[in-house]
Amino acid sequence: MASVSLPKLTLHFLLPTHSPKTPFCLNNSILHKLPESQFRGLKLSRSSSTSIPSSSSVKTSIFAKVTQGTVPPAFTLKDQDGKNVSLSKFKGKPVVVYFYPADETPGCTKQACAFRDSYEKFKKAGAEVVGISGDDSSSHKAFAKKYKLPFTLLSDESNKVRKDWGVPSDLFGTLPGRQTYVLDKNGKVQLIYNNQFQPEKHIDETLKLLQSL
Amino acid sequence: MGAAESHIWLEPILAGLVGYVLADLGSGVYHWGIDNYGSAETPVFGPQIEAFQGHHKWPWTITRRQFANNLHALARTVTFFVLPIDLACHDSVLLGFVGVCSGCIMFSQQFHAWAHGTKSKLPPIVVALQDAGILVSRPQHAAHHRQPYNNNYCIVSGVWNEFLDTQNVFGALEMILLFKLGVRPRSWDEPNSDWTEETETSSQVALP
Repeated sequence: MASVSLPKLTLHFLLPTHSPKTPFCLNNSILHKLPESQFRGLKLSRSSSTSIPSSSSVKTSIFAKVTQGTVPPAFTLKDQDGKNVSLSKFKGKPVVVYFYPADETPGCTKQACAFRDSYEKFKKAGAEVVGISGDDSSSHKAFAKKYKLPFTLLSDESNKVRKDWGVPSDLFGTLPGRQTYVLDKNGKVQLIYNNQFQPEKHIDETLKLLQSL
Repeated sequence: MGAAESHIWLEPILAGLVGYVLADLGSGVYHWGIDNYGSAETPVFGPQIEAFQGHHKWPWTITRRQFANNLHALARTVTFFVLPIDLACHDSVLLGFVGVCSGCIMFSQQFHAWAHGTKSKLPPIVVALQDAGILVSRPQHAAHHRQPYNNNYCIVSGVWNEFLDTQNVFGALEMILLFKLGVRPRSWDEPNSDWTEETETSSQVALP
């Protein structure tokens, strides 16, 4: 609700040294926490228990199906070569599933390149990395080729998987959210990290967790 | 002046200050829009878009424009909007706001030109105002003319630049426009030769 969240926004404007903190505690004993969106220096927090979400986020906040400790819904999507890839393919090893807004945009490029540059560390932890956006296979192919991305990119063209998993949107629903899930080798979610405007942080946070799994 | 009388001046002056601050923000948003979207063929804005791109290619030429040249186009637009307000409104606070805001907008191209000047050639008062942060400074605006050409868009005082850039406000707006209208800003892609600054000093340039 705009009237509920405005005071929070104003407050953060006055705190120039406020640095966004990780919205998720990496302690596995915390059962679940709804994802919070972070806009550099501004925190738009969504919590179903305390505030009435705006209409654009009702679908995602209240009905977020994937939470820490649960097994997310299965999917089969086309990769950058047009081949079908199912989530079940990755069972038996940890997998980092990262949802991002779009190929060839500054934030997503930074994020993809950061995953690429740390890919060896992910492999060392035995994990796979999968990126998902609404772009089609040919867009993913060009994007992966241009930046030499060694991991799989999947096309969620109707944003069905994004909706099924409950990835929240940003900026009052205008922007697809940037949210990363770390699944353990049993397919259970161990971390959900959301940060739209600091994409490289997704790599640090997921690696931190993977190294503890 | 008694306390009651000085109060009459305070509100319009404060309104003027608000106008000065908002003019800087307005200059940034407008500049960002023109730098990133549209082309020479865009209706209404086409010639300006072309002029801005020409400016990026030959930034130093702006220092060779005459004072009147820097003012006349903006003055036309300001007259169009402000004259009716001046005739219709008599509220001193509103007029204070409109007067200073539109005045700063009218002078913004001249402030911009001064930001391209060299210290030794600028009037000392201009240098002093730039150093005090009242007018956009030369180093701050120079950053706008360097890769990746996506920051320091404000050209009145530049007071909004740090906030807009550190909070990535334009980046967020660019993403919204991509998803809502399908348009990509020019600053996302490698500048082509039409955009990159020409560094040969011998190039013949016709001043716009």
